[in-house]
Amino acid sequence: MEDLYIRATNDSPEVDFKYTFNQLTMSGEAYPEDASRFFYPIIMGLVDFLKVNTKPINFNFKLTYFNSASTKMLFNIFQLLNEHSAHQQTVTLNWIYDEEDDTIKDFGDDIAEEFPSLDFNAVTISAA
Amino acid sequence: MEIDLFSSFKNQALEKGIVFYYSGKISQNAIATMGDVLKHRFENSENPSSTRKVFSSFIEMIQNALHYSPQSLDGNAEKIGAVAVGKQDGQYFIICGNVVGREFVSRISDKIDMVNGMSKEEVKAAYKAQLRSDDTTGDETSKGAGLGLLTIARDSALPIEYHFKSIAEYDNQYSELHLKTIL
Repeated sequence: MEDLYIRATNDSPEVDFKYTFNQLTMSGEAYPEDASRFFYPIIMGLVDFLKVNTKPINFNFKLTYFNSASTKMLFNIFQLLNEHSAHQQTVTLNWIYDEEDDTIKDFGDDIAEEFPSLDFNAVTISAA
Repeated sequence: MEIDLFSSFKNQALEKGIVFYYSGKISQNAIATMGDVLKHRFENSENPSSTRKVFSSFIEMIQNALHYSPQSLDGNAEKIGAVAVGKQDGQYFIICGNVVGREFVSRISDKIDMVNGMSKEEVKAAYKAQLRSDDTTGDETSKGAGLGLLTIARDSALPIEYHFKSIAEYDNQYSELHLKTIL
């Protein structure tokens, strides 16, 4: 499975899915005009990877902002990872966020509660 | 034009606590640029958590305007709107104005009324339900309020205000929508 790299823009995140190392990282901000169009190919690639994956996965979530439409897409991604973690390989979700950011903290809490098969690992970083 | 016009405009903006104002063409590019400007304004904020929420509501409102604005009011493809962010009595507010087709007026009113009638807990529950629903965009269902509106409601301190004004020039096919949230 070939790695996926998408450079960040003003309104879309950096996507660095190193499938060869089972290290999937997303950082930056997500508020593209059409979130489905941005995330659809990423999700399709992830589905293909999960079909053939044989090792534990690290997902590093470092987004600092995502609009409502992107939130929906992220939720779908965590749903897929949760299924995989429940029945195949463990998925560790490293939830990396600014300690002062309540919105991201709360969303992380919701994800941890909604998807209990994920090995959820909150990591706070202090504000720059 | 009198050069004074600029200072009177500026003074009025200051008086009303306006931090940011834009009126004109709206596109995703314009939104991303506005987002950058707003972030710079907030860079030295004493309360980053609250300015992050302002940014979030701002994006939801202006993207909603982009979503609902008709393509061809005047036969050209430009969408137009206006948005202001300000701070008064220690509270941030965002006002967004855009044009919507007449057919959306009752739908938008119903959704806002529904959200305004909810407690914070109910907003949170509706938000989660919307995330879980199979609806792929989070915004198109006619049954519930969209995820965008719920995101604004989640962070608002007061009910979301709205006002429609029919535009006579186009046989009342369009209305001007003004939306205001206070955080």
